Amino acid sequence: MSIGPMSMSNGAKKLIFSYVAIVAVVVVLMMVFGLLLRLAQGGWLSMSPQFFYQLLTAHGIGMVGIAALAGSAILWYFLSQYVELSTTILATNLVLFLSGVVFILGATFIGGFGGLWTFLYPLPRLSLSIWSDAAAVTYLVGVLIVGVGFLLFFLDVGRAIISRYGSLGRSLGWPQLFGGDQSEAPPPTVVASTMVTIINVAALVAGAAILVMSIINILIPDFTVNPLLAKNMIYLFGHTFVNSTIYMSIIAVYEILPRYTDRPWKSTKPFLAAWTAATVMVLTVYPHHLLLDFVMPQWMLWLGQIISYLSGIPVLLVTMIGTLTIIHKSGIKWDAASSLLVLSVFGWAAGVLPAIIDATIVVNMVMHNTMWVPGHFHFYLLLGMIAMAFGFMFYLGKAERNREDGAFDRLAVWIYAGGGLTFVFAFLMSGAESVPRRWAVHLPEWMPYDRYGAVCAAVVVLASVWFLVRYISSLWSPVEVRAEATQEGN
Amino acid sequence: MYQSLAWQLTIVLVLLLLALFAFVVSQSGSREEYGPIKDKSSRIRLIVFALLFALVAPLVGFSLTSLPYSAPPNRQGEPEIIDVTGGQWYWIFSSNETTVGTPVEFHVTSADVNHGFGLYDSSMTLVAQTQSMPEYTNVLYYTFTSPGTYQVLCMEYCGLAHHGMITEFTVNPRTTGGAR
Repeated sequence: MSIGPMSMSNGAKKLIFSYVAIVAVVVVLMMVFGLLLRLAQGGWLSMSPQFFYQLLTAHGIGMVGIAALAGSAILWYFLSQYVELSTTILATNLVLFLSGVVFILGATFIGGFGGLWTFLYPLPRLSLSIWSDAAAVTYLVGVLIVGVGFLLFFLDVGRAIISRYGSLGRSLGWPQLFGGDQSEAPPPTVVASTMVTIINVAALVAGAAILVMSIINILIPDFTVNPLLAKNMIYLFGHTFVNSTIYMSIIAVYEILPRYTDRPWKSTKPFLAAWTAATVMVLTVYPHHLLLDFVMPQWMLWLGQIISYLSGIPVLLVTMIGTLTIIHKSGIKWDAASSLLVLSVFGWAAGVLPAIIDATIVVNMVMHNTMWVPGHFHFYLLLGMIAMAFGFMFYLGKAERNREDGAFDRLAVWIYAGGGLTFVFAFLMSGAESVPRRWAVHLPEWMPYDRYGAVCAAVVVLASVWFLVRYISSLWSPVEVRAEATQEGN
Repeated sequence: MYQSLAWQLTIVLVLLLLALFAFVVSQSGSREEYGPIKDKSSRIRLIVFALLFALVAPLVGFSLTSLPYSAPPNRQGEPEIIDVTGGQWYWIFSSNETTVGTPVEFHVTSADVNHGFGLYDSSMTLVAQTQSMPEYTNVLYYTFTSPGTYQVLCMEYCGLAHHGMITEFTVNPRTTGGAR
């Protein structure tokens, strides 16, 4: 394994570059939206509550969608070494994604929809005429279109994996894990892709079902849904889909760090066991979003807490220790890509800590829906998932365009890491002070945290703009062609 | 109490992780054979798993012994039932006051969309909450230990004036011979 261009068709490569370019642009744009929200909460920017909630809706759905797009680009790029994926489906997903985005942006900024990305039933229909039914339906249809694109994407990934390995059990390494099969297990990328395919097909089907039910509810108000069932379906979809973005993006760590250290990342038995356990746990952990719905069956709430503790451990711990092992005394060359990828594993591991603490029922009672929650998910998304995506972006420039780091690149990584860490602590601090989340107007005593957060967010935006500029400029560099490139494909 | 515990625990654990990563990164400049490093790492992984399980399992078990889903077993006196309805964008209480020491059951529901019933003490610290859901009634058990003016804030996004959904709840000091 060496750092060099991947063997794949020009069309596929162009699509991957397009995916990543869109990711870079949209991530920065969504970060700017987030910065504006923090400025408004801090009283430094005048913004009407209506626009605040529209912007919050766009920020939330935009970040979730673009994280999934980034993860799918990483997954496709590396998985294509092992299985035969459809370039047509890759393109279809992108077209559907962009079409859905048009619907979502139209619904939000023209139609005034501000029901947040979670579209918690029955809020889309009941806004007290703040937004129209048409705006709500347009938003939900937009999300549905994006979801259909990703469903096609994962169905194709599942098809390709089954064609190559025979079954999803085999591609999860079950013969090696349970059957005493001594042959080499499927590579980490295949194992991770299998897990993500299983959880996302389930999540997307649940999401599509509740989206359709919500749309019908708006068009025919007599058609109602049990609100508790709707909540369960929304969080099953939302939690699983967002989590999957990390499980897709972590493939960048499994594939790129071995190339930097010249050390293999193998699917050992603990690795296989961890991913199998995570497959079940990620799908069953979502009740931790419902710990304050006291009418839920209590066993589900117990499960929500217990699995929150357990699900953080297998893949995360195995990956974290694996990362530290592979770089320890490796003579690794530190550049923007490798630094961001190691940062991402730290960000993921550290960000999960406040999340697990919040999943403790007695703690959740006083921290649920406070700023603690965006504190922990920004931690593992900004410093974890998005850092993985930026790391992959730099790697693409290096491997495919022979682009070396400039003087400012590593400094920008430090700025991103420092700004990001202080930014998430602004959220966590205000959460510990009981500041509620998703409030357009803050009390004066809460504003110092918002202002501190806004300054840190501006620092993160600056570093991210630099990453974006570097990536876009790399697209004009000549394509790298190496003789050994063809040896890497199978 | 839980807020500061969560905060302190997070700081300590994040710093420990940061130190661990910084140490390994600082050692990454030289190169050594991978085999022995991997073997050592496998042993460390096993120890970490065992330690985590030994530490976390009892903590999780203990935390599950006192849950907010039913009346506390040591509750004394007749509970005062207060019906609460959340709506866009108001709160309706069957009574907006109680007395220190009286066990209160807030029966919380919603007239329209999902809201969150968040009870803040006079220093604006969140002391208890539950969801305010359409078609369902969540029962929140709480016994006030301090008198004062409490605030009820909406904790679940419910539309345009979500942030304006605030009301007051008064907790009176216990008088001699008053309710317990």
